[in-house]
Amino acid sequence: MTNPTNVQRSRRGGSGEVPLQTRANTIVKAADHATPLELSDITIRYGGGKGGAEAVSVVEGFDLTLHAGEMHCVAGRSGSGKTSILTVGAGLTLPTSGRVFWEGDSLETMGDDEIADRRRALIGYVDQGGALIDGMSALENVLLPAVPDGEVEQRRDMAKDLLDLVGLGRRMRHRPAQLSGGERQRVAIARALILGTRVLVVDEPTASLDRASANRIISILKDTTSDGIAVLVASHDHELVRLSDSLTELI
Amino acid sequence: MNAVQRFIRSKVLLLTAAILIAAMCLSVLVQSQSQAALNRTVDENSRGLYDVLVQAKAPSGALLQPEIANGTGGISFEQLDSIRKLSGTAVAAPISLVSRVTQNLEAPRLDAMDYLGYNAGLAGTATADQAAGATSPDKWPAAESVLSDTAKKYRLTASAVSSDGVSEQTLFKSTAEGTLGKAKLVEEKAAGGSSIRIAAPQGETGIKFPSPAGGSEHNLFNLSVSLPLAPEVTESVVAVDPAAERALLGTAGDFLAPLEKAPPADARNAGAVGRYLEGLFSNGIGLDELKDGPDFLGVKLKYWAPLMTQYQQAKRTGQLTADSQAIPLVVRSGTSLDLKYNVKIEEIDDSGKVINEVGTATRSLDKDYLPFVSKDPFALSWPGSTDHTSLLGANGNFNQGLYTPAKWSTDFASAPKYTDGETSANGAVDKNAVPGEWVTVNRLPEKSANGAPVDQTQREPVDERSYRDNLSNGQKQASPLAMVYGTFDPAAVAQAAGDVNKLPLGGYDPTPFTVVKDADGKDVKSTELKPSLSATGLASQSAGAITDYYGLAAARGYTDNASVIDAVRVRANAPGSWKEAQPDVEKLAAEIRDMGLEATIVAGSAREDTSIFVPGYSKDDAGKESNLGTVEQSWVRQNAAEAVTGSLSGTNITLLFLTLCGAALLTGASTVSYIRKRRSEAGTLRAMGWTQRRIRSWVLEEFGVGAVLLAVVGTVLSLISWSLSTALVCAAVLLLYVAAALFAAQQLRHRDVIDQEPQHDERLIPVDSPLTFANRQLGTQKFNTIALAVAVGVFGAAVGGLIALLIDIPRAAGASALSGLAAASVALPSILLALAGVVVGLVLTLVTGRFELNAKRQYLGILEAMGWNPDMLRQVRLFENALVGTVALPLGVLGALGIGLLLAPYAALWAGVAGLVAVLCWIPIATKVVQ
Repeated sequence: MTNPTNVQRSRRGGSGEVPLQTRANTIVKAADHATPLELSDITIRYGGGKGGAEAVSVVEGFDLTLHAGEMHCVAGRSGSGKTSILTVGAGLTLPTSGRVFWEGDSLETMGDDEIADRRRALIGYVDQGGALIDGMSALENVLLPAVPDGEVEQRRDMAKDLLDLVGLGRRMRHRPAQLSGGERQRVAIARALILGTRVLVVDEPTASLDRASANRIISILKDTTSDGIAVLVASHDHELVRLSDSLTELI
Repeated sequence: MNAVQRFIRSKVLLLTAAILIAAMCLSVLVQSQSQAALNRTVDENSRGLYDVLVQAKAPSGALLQPEIANGTGGISFEQLDSIRKLSGTAVAAPISLVSRVTQNLEAPRLDAMDYLGYNAGLAGTATADQAAGATSPDKWPAAESVLSDTAKKYRLTASAVSSDGVSEQTLFKSTAEGTLGKAKLVEEKAAGGSSIRIAAPQGETGIKFPSPAGGSEHNLFNLSVSLPLAPEVTESVVAVDPAAERALLGTAGDFLAPLEKAPPADARNAGAVGRYLEGLFSNGIGLDELKDGPDFLGVKLKYWAPLMTQYQQAKRTGQLTADSQAIPLVVRSGTSLDLKYNVKIEEIDDSGKVINEVGTATRSLDKDYLPFVSKDPFALSWPGSTDHTSLLGANGNFNQGLYTPAKWSTDFASAPKYTDGETSANGAVDKNAVPGEWVTVNRLPEKSANGAPVDQTQREPVDERSYRDNLSNGQKQASPLAMVYGTFDPAAVAQAAGDVNKLPLGGYDPTPFTVVKDADGKDVKSTELKPSLSATGLASQSAGAITDYYGLAAARGYTDNASVIDAVRVRANAPGSWKEAQPDVEKLAAEIRDMGLEATIVAGSAREDTSIFVPGYSKDDAGKESNLGTVEQSWVRQNAAEAVTGSLSGTNITLLFLTLCGAALLTGASTVSYIRKRRSEAGTLRAMGWTQRRIRSWVLEEFGVGAVLLAVVGTVLSLISWSLSTALVCAAVLLLYVAAALFAAQQLRHRDVIDQEPQHDERLIPVDSPLTFANRQLGTQKFNTIALAVAVGVFGAAVGGLIALLIDIPRAAGASALSGLAAASVALPSILLALAGVVVGLVLTLVTGRFELNAKRQYLGILEAMGWNPDMLRQVRLFENALVGTVALPLGVLGALGIGLLLAPYAALWAGVAGLVAVLCWIPIATKVVQ
């Protein structure tokens, strides 16, 4: 993102409705909770089941409080548990022990449907490599999160704006197979922002990208924090680590 | 890593080879086991007691009418001798219908217990030294009676009822009234002492039915009321050569041994035999001889009394002439004729009003009845009576037997006539019975046993439809007398004849009819049609008696060497199964045909149920005729063995073909799976500098390992089964595999195309719901979708085929009983094959489903990460499978219909329904599995 001024801050009103924004004002909902994501004493352990494999403890006693507008980077060597922390934080997997809070509410008390609904409203998840759905154009991929709420048509302009924002305005009708790794990553970020997310969870966004492409991704992520969006990113990219507001280095 | 290691590492190739090997093994199962079982069943059940049926006139068509003993004759004894002299003949057993014999059952009576206790003057023979088993006088029980001391007025209503299994007919109903009471002993002084007699109570009028029935009388143990005469009963008599018949039936024919010992024709003069027996009785006969029967030319004549008493009766009435013959008979034990005699007993007052229902005494002709022998088939007992006659001990069997000589005729003797109806697709032929004349039955005799005229008004005769013809008789015969040598059990004869290759013999061993539809064509509960009263109707029971050909000549008035043999059953002098004996049997039949006779090869035939519509069966009082409806009867299908073998072999080959089709589809699916997995690997190798040819060799080497494996297994299987079909199947499988290998090698070439033009088609349906998302995904993965749909369709078709087999393989094999047995023998391997088809279909769905499993997992994960809830994800899966199912549905239904038409045409519709259900069931199951 080359011009961060294109994104302006806007706080969501007290009514709780999702405001439809025009390109002239904003495309995101501002955070209304100081700590949208909090991880408490998280332990993640794999193996040790019936197969007799030795249990491996990937993460132990991990704590994190992610503030609105903060970009927190989880760094570490491969296999150190970066992706595991992100999937736990996004509510995609359950930790072996510990608690995950979304805007102060513990996931332990929520059912699968409620977690899905809250995730849609709160968290935008960007997979490693920017996983997109084959057979669907970049624009359709960005609009996918709006399907459950039946807001595809309402969000179409916003999706185009987002694709413009990440520099892919001319590629919105291309399919994933026609996009480069960096472009797919940017489409995935646009998709994560479509519903006005308050927490962006991004897994290795710059891995296997050239420096220029990586810098572009980093710039987009950094710009989103200026709109009050909290960013939890896993990476060992030095530039990303350097620009993060806070850092957890896994050993 | 060498080719073998790579082959083992590649699970897809291993799976493909395993499937193809399984297909080859199944072919061996079908060819060796199923075909062998089929041949065994056909062989075991296609050769019965005889191989060739010889008749004077040719039966028309491939479906033989069961009644071949019909009295029409046509074969002479000289021709029989010629058949016996043929080198290929083991046994030649002649058979003829002799006559229909009508005889009146002797006077029925009602016995009311009226036992007066022991009295030496009345007991007579009741002492221990006079009658075997007589009760000692001091052990006689106290007097007892069902009658009262003073006479009461009773009304007796006698009726006879007969049923053919469908409708019941009251033959007559007659009422008589009078007073009856307990008898008493009266001692009267007479010259030289006193006499004791039984006297009726004061005021007793007794009860008398119309003549010839006598009144009522008191005797030592009972009050006996003479009842109206029972209806006349008609039996058929057949003639066989006892020695040949025993050779044909084996031990089941031992009952004919006494007939074999019967005296020759010149020692059968009825007058001479009657006088001999009469003299025997006049000169005194011991109790043992009385019990077992006197020795007559080496045979104990247990049932000698009927002949003697009938001789006396015939002599008295002038029927007996110098030419009258005693006809040796072996009589049937029991009867299937439904004839019930009832007497309703009511106590009434002077005005005729009923004041007490005493009860109804009933008795039926049953297992105790013997034609020509039973004297008292209808001795009925007053309700509450005890039989005290045994106190006198056994009194021998002198009193047994029918006193009135039988009337022998050939009226309504030949087989029923039929015309052809519709023919079903499986070969079953419908028939229509041809009604004959109305026949008056249930007549009363002109004279009673004592020669007195019979009051003909006491019951009306009954008209009965005949479906048979009269036979022209020979010379007028002198009145023959029945000389009973023994009895036979018709069920044992039927059992000896066997089931599958049974060719019933008309009056000798008739085939039952089963009513299945009423006159309006509606299905009714299957009911066996019982023989009618006179046995001249549609159904007849087993022969009442069997005699020899001297007996036939005497009864029919023929001289020697007349052409009176209806049929000759010939067993060929060729051991072994039907197939082994077939050449010899055919040669023998040809030699018999050269004599100018018709020889039908019945070996290789089988029973077949034929539907027969029976019109004009009965008529009401106004004379309006009614149809019976439709009956089923087992006829005989010629050449059923070859037809069944051909049909089921065809089914096996069809199943084999379908198995190969399934294997081909699975091979195709697994090959595509292999190509997908190896494409990236091929790209890496290409990047390493491998040439296209080198990569192709690398792929073909892996396939080569599988091909060698298949070739080895195929060779071994072909050698074990030694069957051309198996060898062809193995070769086809190998060819299939090689084709798959070449296709795979061709597909692994480099083909990346750079295309950076926008590809999104605006005509596509926008993705705004789980349904449209599922639709887009399937549209994107067209090959996978079609492959999966084909797999599901194959699964549905296989399920349909299995259902078709389960439902209809016996009918598909033909309509004969043999087809049912043969189908049962091949059912297991056939069903295993069809089950294998179902498994192949399932494996196909799994293999093709795996094509996109990773992609499916990935996008479902993406959707989940985007906040699609579990319900929406489930909808996506369901819609995807529903759309695949929609594509698969026509394939599954049409495939199932096609397989059904090939394997079991009558169940094709069910096969289609099963295919539909299978595909519909797959949708939720697959949705659950993907989760």
